[in-house]
Amino acid sequence: MDSIFFHRHFEETVLPDGILKGLKIAIQPNISVAGWPTEAGSGALTGFRALEDATLYRLIREAGAYVCGSTRMSEFGFGLTGSRAGKALISQEADVELVLDMTGESRLAAAGASVCGLKPSWGLVSHLGLIGLIPSMECCGIISENINNIRIILKSVAGPDERDFSMPDEEIPDFEPKGVDPAKIAVGILTEVQDALPSTEQNLFRREVDDLKKQGIPIRELSLPDFPLFMAVHQVVGSVEASSAAGRYDSVRYGRRAAGSKNWNEMYLASRGAAFGPLLKSYLFQGAYFQFQNYRAYEDACRLRARLCQQMEKLFTETDFLLFPAFRRGLSEKSLSLADTYAQFAETAFANVAGCPAFYIPPVAEERVGIQLAGPRRSDGRLLNFGEYTQNLRRGGH
Amino acid sequence: MEFEAVIGLEIHVELNCRTKLFCDCPNNPGDEPNANTCPVCLWFPGAVPRLSQEALEKAVLLCMGLGAQLQPRSAFDQKVYYYPDLPKGYQLSQAHLPLSRGGGIDIMDENGKMQRLRIHHIHMEEDVAKLVHEMEGRQPISLVDFNRAGAPLVEIVTEPDFRTPYQAMEFLKALRTQVRYVGASECSMENGTMRADANISIRPRGSNEMNTKVEVKNMNSIRHVGDAIAFEITRQTAAVHDGKPVILHTRLWDPDKKVTTAMRGKFEGPCVPDPMVPVIELSSDWIEKMRSRLPEMPAVRAARFVSRHGLTGEEAAFLSADPDVAGYFEELMSEGIAPRMALHWLTTQLLPALKERKQEVSASRVTSQRFGALLKMLSRDEINANAARETLTCMFENDDSPEVIVGARGFRQVSDVAALESLIEKVLGEQTEAVTDFHSGQGKAMGFLIGQVMKASGGKANPKMIRELLAAKLS
Repeated sequence: MDSIFFHRHFEETVLPDGILKGLKIAIQPNISVAGWPTEAGSGALTGFRALEDATLYRLIREAGAYVCGSTRMSEFGFGLTGSRAGKALISQEADVELVLDMTGESRLAAAGASVCGLKPSWGLVSHLGLIGLIPSMECCGIISENINNIRIILKSVAGPDERDFSMPDEEIPDFEPKGVDPAKIAVGILTEVQDALPSTEQNLFRREVDDLKKQGIPIRELSLPDFPLFMAVHQVVGSVEASSAAGRYDSVRYGRRAAGSKNWNEMYLASRGAAFGPLLKSYLFQGAYFQFQNYRAYEDACRLRARLCQQMEKLFTETDFLLFPAFRRGLSEKSLSLADTYAQFAETAFANVAGCPAFYIPPVAEERVGIQLAGPRRSDGRLLNFGEYTQNLRRGGH
Repeated sequence: MEFEAVIGLEIHVELNCRTKLFCDCPNNPGDEPNANTCPVCLWFPGAVPRLSQEALEKAVLLCMGLGAQLQPRSAFDQKVYYYPDLPKGYQLSQAHLPLSRGGGIDIMDENGKMQRLRIHHIHMEEDVAKLVHEMEGRQPISLVDFNRAGAPLVEIVTEPDFRTPYQAMEFLKALRTQVRYVGASECSMENGTMRADANISIRPRGSNEMNTKVEVKNMNSIRHVGDAIAFEITRQTAAVHDGKPVILHTRLWDPDKKVTTAMRGKFEGPCVPDPMVPVIELSSDWIEKMRSRLPEMPAVRAARFVSRHGLTGEEAAFLSADPDVAGYFEELMSEGIAPRMALHWLTTQLLPALKERKQEVSASRVTSQRFGALLKMLSRDEINANAARETLTCMFENDDSPEVIVGARGFRQVSDVAALESLIEKVLGEQTEAVTDFHSGQGKAMGFLIGQVMKASGGKANPKMIRELLAAKLS
């Protein structure tokens, strides 16, 4: 049987007292823990053991968490092929899992396990020690059945790291749980998002919206005609960043070296050729295409991204939160093409492009579906409070 | 048809910072191979680069010293290419938004005309690793030393304003002086802290066309830059005369054969903004604060040496070229030494003596106070020039004041009239022939007699007084 865990860790030391005391957390092998095998799901890092702890890991340990190991992940966390994210929650081997989210992976992993999942605001948590692929879009998602677990973990890891200057100098959200007054909350849904869904999914999502409305949450329809461009921007900017990031993981100074090459240039080429899996290879080719052959398209995508971020900001002056569907579709164990992978994340990738927090809430009954809430950057605390309120309503209302 | 060359330079200057550009590793490339490395400069998975404040400050001072306009926003890009000395596949460099634009250096060209050579822009970037090719028995092996990987570099890209090898060499000399002044680098081409590549093309004299250029690398002295450019101009001119096209490529200068040889096609990879290194925003307050740290630049200092101390332009330029020498000269001025005397003794005695002992003027035990005291004794006629030279030699050996050395060694000049008169009496009694020669009008007899008196004094007599007293005696 294919195991959930890539690496198991059995704690012997006494853990410090802190807000995470007693919490069992599974991470992924792309979060550096000194001495642990840290292969990030890629042949390029075969045998690589991290030299020092990721800031994120250090902080949850200092808060008393017990990290029970790392679960199997997709190559560098891109897509869900080969990932066992969420399975340690189902098997009750962990209370919380940390799952890299660059396109929506943590939210769909939460959907797969029928638990809650938060992708925090970009730049809220240090990147130091995180082995990633799309630095400007990815961050570590937190998934758990218990929303308060997500809240206290985010509270212990959020904030500036003097070793990660890429973090914007912004205010840290307030993570205290607070009650919600539905009369003072405005929630929007995007016409373009609904229109793009197949009719069965449209009906399922519509039912969730109607249910919330019935529970007294005001929801109104808003428009963002450029919404489909989020995915286009992700495809261009994300693959370009990945092309450079994966170039760094050269598979030579650690990992495997291809044998039989005449000189070291050939050896590098052959090692890289052997290191990456088929999905990642096509992703990197796509990025290299924009880098070398169509740089103009990349520049356009960067401009579009800035415009999309502005449009989102403007929407969030009209509404507190946006409600999205989050369908987990087309999942199979076999490897997917790049196009299939993108199709999986059609409703989640926007949050990675805009850097805003997004929260997945699981279905409350059979034949119901999960929903996704998004808020403006750095609204993570409020988003969790509102998500908790919404989930209670949905449960009570059923 | 007569051709002229169009030349631009790309100069890499390694900043003399304590650490590398994006990590805290010591910036000492010469240490034991791979001693100065960490996850950041080895680019291990999970590492996050952090821009060094010191490197930014030194780069900013360098830009200011070259009269460049600092940009309020600059940013690092990934210059994507692969080579074994850059296994991570990209170099962090400021390709799209450089640290400064504009600026330039005034040089005197070969016709004695002042000419401004403009700088296009200046940007920061990280150095790559060093490749070492060795033999292990009969097996050739290649090794990578990451001590240099991530070292802080500044690249100065000029406009194609140069027409001759001479201008390029003068520019590099002036650039070296300016950068040393702001204290950002030693700028030694021999030690690799300054590296200059030249882009050279030719065109019919007087035309404005910009033709295909050839890049020439691997010159490790300013003279080699001149030689390589001269060779390349001749080579391209001959090729065009033979009807062969000039193609874009890179050539290496071979200092032994004094030729350039083709290395590779010039490859320009894409430059993508780096998502992890934050954009650098310089506020005008901060820029002003840095400007107050900028020392007086050599051209300004030289002008002051001319106007205040009466030096010639050439003397002033020589003195101001080295900030330490210029500072030493100014300290002598504040000790009240006459400018011409200070210049003469500094350039003909002290600097050669330092060079002979392989010492730096700033680190020598012959401080400006001690040297000044020596020159004061000379100007007060307490010692003569010979004694001053001997005293200087002693000053390199111990820390005694020149007064003590002069006293202990008996170098003090004899200026006592009675003592000198008795010496003169003695000499005149012995040298009757010379006295007769003098009276019969042979002028050189006077010189001989002065020499004899000096000899009798053990070299310590005041020569001016001997001449006066002798003249009175013999008249």
